[in-house]
Amino acid sequence: MKSYTAQRRLSLILRYILLVILAIVWIFPIVWIVLASFSYNDTGFVSTIIPNKFTLQNYIGIFTSKQFPFVNWILNTTFVSVVSATLSTLVTICVAYVLSRLRFRMRKPFLQIALVLGMFPGFMSMIALYYILKSFNMLNLFGLILVYVGGAGLGFYVAKGFFDTIPTAIDEAAEMDGATQWQTFIHIGLPMSRPIIVYTALMAFIGPWIDFIFSGIILSSSGNAKSYTIAYGLYNMVHATKGTSTMYFTQFIAGCVIIAIPITVLFVIMQKFYVNGITAGADKG
Amino acid sequence: MFKRKAKKPKEATYREVWQHGDLATKLSFFIMGFAQLKNKQWVKGLSFLITEVVFLIWMVFSGVSALSMLTTLGTIKHKQVVFDKTQGVYITKMPDNSVVILLFGVLAVILVIAMIGLYVANLRSVRHLYALKRDGEHVPTNGEDLASLLDKKLYGTLLAIPIAGVVAFTILPTVYMISMAFTNYDSKHPIGFSWTGFAAFKNVLSGDLAGTFFPVLGWTLVWAICATATTFFFGVLLAMLIESKGIKHKGFWRTIFVIVYAVPQFISLLMMAQFLDLQGPLNTLLLNWGWIAHPINFISASANPMVARITVIIVNMWIGVPVSMLVSTAIIQNLPQDQIEAARIDGANAFQIFRSVTFPQILFVMAPALIQQFIGNINNFNVIFLLTGGYPMNNNYNGAGDTDLLVTWLYNLVFGQTQRYNASAVLGILIFIISATVSLIAYRRTNAFKEG
Amino acid sequence: MKLIKKIALGSSAVIAMTLLAACGKSSSSSDTSSKKVSGDVKLWVDTTQVSYYKTIVKNFNKKYPDVNVKVTQSPNGSANAKTDVGKDPAKAADVFEVPNDQLGSMADQGYINPLSPDATKTVKSDNVATSVKGVTWKNQMYGYPFAEQAQTLYYNKSKLSAEDVKSWDTLTSKATLATDFTNAYNFYPIFFSAGTNLYGKNGETLKGTNVANQKGINALTWLAQQKSNKNVMQTSNTLNQLKSGNAAATIDGPWNTANIKKILGKNFGVAKYPTIKVGGKNVQMKAFLGIEAFAVNSHTPTKDQKAASTLAQFITNKQSQLIVYKQSGQIPVDKSAQKSSTVANDKAAQAIMTMAKPENSVLMPKMSQMATFWNLSAPLLNGSYTGSIKASDYSAKLKTFQDAISKKN
Repeated sequence: MKSYTAQRRLSLILRYILLVILAIVWIFPIVWIVLASFSYNDTGFVSTIIPNKFTLQNYIGIFTSKQFPFVNWILNTTFVSVVSATLSTLVTICVAYVLSRLRFRMRKPFLQIALVLGMFPGFMSMIALYYILKSFNMLNLFGLILVYVGGAGLGFYVAKGFFDTIPTAIDEAAEMDGATQWQTFIHIGLPMSRPIIVYTALMAFIGPWIDFIFSGIILSSSGNAKSYTIAYGLYNMVHATKGTSTMYFTQFIAGCVIIAIPITVLFVIMQKFYVNGITAGADKG
Repeated sequence: MFKRKAKKPKEATYREVWQHGDLATKLSFFIMGFAQLKNKQWVKGLSFLITEVVFLIWMVFSGVSALSMLTTLGTIKHKQVVFDKTQGVYITKMPDNSVVILLFGVLAVILVIAMIGLYVANLRSVRHLYALKRDGEHVPTNGEDLASLLDKKLYGTLLAIPIAGVVAFTILPTVYMISMAFTNYDSKHPIGFSWTGFAAFKNVLSGDLAGTFFPVLGWTLVWAICATATTFFFGVLLAMLIESKGIKHKGFWRTIFVIVYAVPQFISLLMMAQFLDLQGPLNTLLLNWGWIAHPINFISASANPMVARITVIIVNMWIGVPVSMLVSTAIIQNLPQDQIEAARIDGANAFQIFRSVTFPQILFVMAPALIQQFIGNINNFNVIFLLTGGYPMNNNYNGAGDTDLLVTWLYNLVFGQTQRYNASAVLGILIFIISATVSLIAYRRTNAFKEG
Repeated sequence: MKLIKKIALGSSAVIAMTLLAACGKSSSSSDTSSKKVSGDVKLWVDTTQVSYYKTIVKNFNKKYPDVNVKVTQSPNGSANAKTDVGKDPAKAADVFEVPNDQLGSMADQGYINPLSPDATKTVKSDNVATSVKGVTWKNQMYGYPFAEQAQTLYYNKSKLSAEDVKSWDTLTSKATLATDFTNAYNFYPIFFSAGTNLYGKNGETLKGTNVANQKGINALTWLAQQKSNKNVMQTSNTLNQLKSGNAAATIDGPWNTANIKKILGKNFGVAKYPTIKVGGKNVQMKAFLGIEAFAVNSHTPTKDQKAASTLAQFITNKQSQLIVYKQSGQIPVDKSAQKSSTVANDKAAQAIMTMAKPENSVLMPKMSQMATFWNLSAPLLNGSYTGSIKASDYSAKLKTFQDAISKKN
């Protein structure tokens, strides 16, 4: 008969083994992607786990490429991300705060309309968005920012859930002291919402780095590769030409790895905020 | 919520306002802002007045024509090729551009509705002024009006810009797309199209696309259920595993899994497609180890539909489980321990505790988020588009493959070979109806569950 | 639309090489109008072609200094010209590259202008007849042809002899052939080998498709047989299979010639398609013939129309075609360019030109129904190959297919 501690130990060992296996399964494809970015390959297809030939050429190539202004793409995307994260956060926090803490006549209808609008597939509006931006002559990075920020007014659920968890007594106390609602918002609401501001900003910041559909529709007409964002630029690199994509394929992977690193690091550092955001939103839905 | 008590004068009826009001009040029914100006509310009065003037000018110069064109979507429907002698080349005379006509027509309708709303607001304000004066109350001054924008009317101040954004970038495009479903906007009528009522709906529901629509709809629902359920369930299990007693460096383990989610999907999924290819690394590896005799056809165009669908759900778990693991972790850490302790004292084993205490509690907290996820999965464009592109091919479908969801099929109808814009709009509307129905039922159920 | 699987149907593809040194003296084009041509023109070419088209435009500006040309990359490559231009014709380039199977629908939709009588005359006299036919729709020309594309057979000389590759059966008894059955561009032409027509003999007859018969069934049967042939490999990445030595032959087009040369090195072999045994008869395996052309956007302002068509004509003249050939291996369609010594000594070019002959290939139809055709043919071919369509269902499936692509839509 096994003693209790031996049983405990066995269970722990088994759990460790399971965890290690799972971790390997999960991380393996990612490791393979990174390895592939260091491989020499001219067929556009990576069929081996370990590259046949290691090379740094892909990374050198992508930064010095004449056809694909990779550095411009990074700068563009950074610009779009920073601006749209700032504006989106502002918009989202304002909307969430108002809908959560203030009471007014149109509140319920607004919530319902927002819920309904959120259920239309975003792709449906692509053609219309294109023409709206075109009529303002905004088929450029600024137009892209507008699109990202324009949708932010509807992405308030998580932030609203967070505000709902803050007791209203605080607001009422401030009101008793004669503070206007504006002062309450600035001096009490905003400082308390730091975690949710971080979460919203993080999400809005990552968006432009991974969106290749909207950016493609809005930026592609210019035909000027220097004006692309990274996601569309890379996507275009392997989709726009036949026969040549094979030459650039490993460069494409290298480019992807380069942008994946900061996003991944950012996300991992901020995962605490991310969890807080999601669970806050999940509390009341 | 505790509300500041403000003495409210008894409101008047509009009839009374019209009968007893002075000239300025009466004029306000036609010229907005008059009464406010008379009462020295310059800011309010002027904004009403200027808005009305601008609106009328716009109406005369473009609004009326935009609205009237909306009925026909342009009169010239066919192109004409003529020879231009001066240049010595052929010139094509274009039909009226219905896309632009429709867009500006919709915009005009929205503006008119907004104006009506403003007019009502103006009337309310006039009525309020009248009541204040009738009862000899204090009429707010300019300064007070402006100050209220930061206090009682703060909601308006904070919502103004977001609402403008939502109208321009969500409502306008959505209304435009809905109207597109009632036209014959397709590759045959790419520039000049007309209203055709429900013809496009008929095509999708009983015409040449019906044979594709219903099977794809079925798979979309199956996919949404499976994708949501698997990521949630295994996420919870993984969270429990990492949180269980004795596991060290919990943060490190969590991070390993989170990395997969953090890598942008358009790279992780595109590469996953190669990883799973017939001649890809996974098959090569398994062949070398002697685990399989023939390469497994996971997701290529010639794969078995069942295999491909299962693969897609599993790959989706690879991406989705880390997130729900993170969220579940947060919930598990905050679970009330008393019930668990009580169960343990009653002699329940770990599995029983999980099944009857922990899991229901997590489910309870997560229910709203799960509904959101379900809707998100119905519209999960990325996983399908990047991983399989809708493959394997299905010779019974039209423009879709076995793993295509409604939303990727919608995309193919717009940007693929056939350019059936109206059919894609119909699909969008149907997707909306499905999502709305599902969430309505689900919310009802969860509310009943919460109350019950 | 997978990364590598994506088939840019009939697309031109181009291997970018180093920047080209300035070219020789410009040839005289037959521009009859003595008027000065001026205007602003935007030109769309594929991403990797931008560099040498800039060179070609430099030559153009020597002759027409008053035309201001802007060379930019098209959004999604010439294979998607139809959708790129269709998204917003007013924003699209004035002159853009388009594969000929999209010309019909673009002409019907009013996106492109017919050629002027002068240009028609010049293009007709300079270029080979098939290319002229390839850009003619309803008796009017809608594009300036500059290259022809037909797939051909590439093989590894160390494993297969020139004699082996004359017949499909011999070839696949000696070595492995890697190809992609999910691509209708590769295997629909089996129907031509079996003796059927697509949209009639001229490719412009709506009801002219005749596959719902024994000949069509023979073609599908041939496809089904390939599944059990050990030496026919289904793959989405033929180049990789050639490189790794898993396969010794493949069928591919001029856009990949340079890639395959790099992979096979001194073992690079190229030949016309082999013969295949369909319905008990040995017949020539056929290919699709595609013509790459430049077309003029009909939304271009009238004042720039002349400049745009002049540019389109210049960048498809003999001198420009040869530059494109040198840079990318695209096979010229200019009669004298085809006879020039460099082309004559190029085995791959010769094989593709042989494939372009009427007995070896069929010109891609320009019907707007081609959109439906591409959508429906691939699953049909692939289903027969994998066996998911059973032999007993062939005739029903073919009937459905034929009816669907013959609809007036």
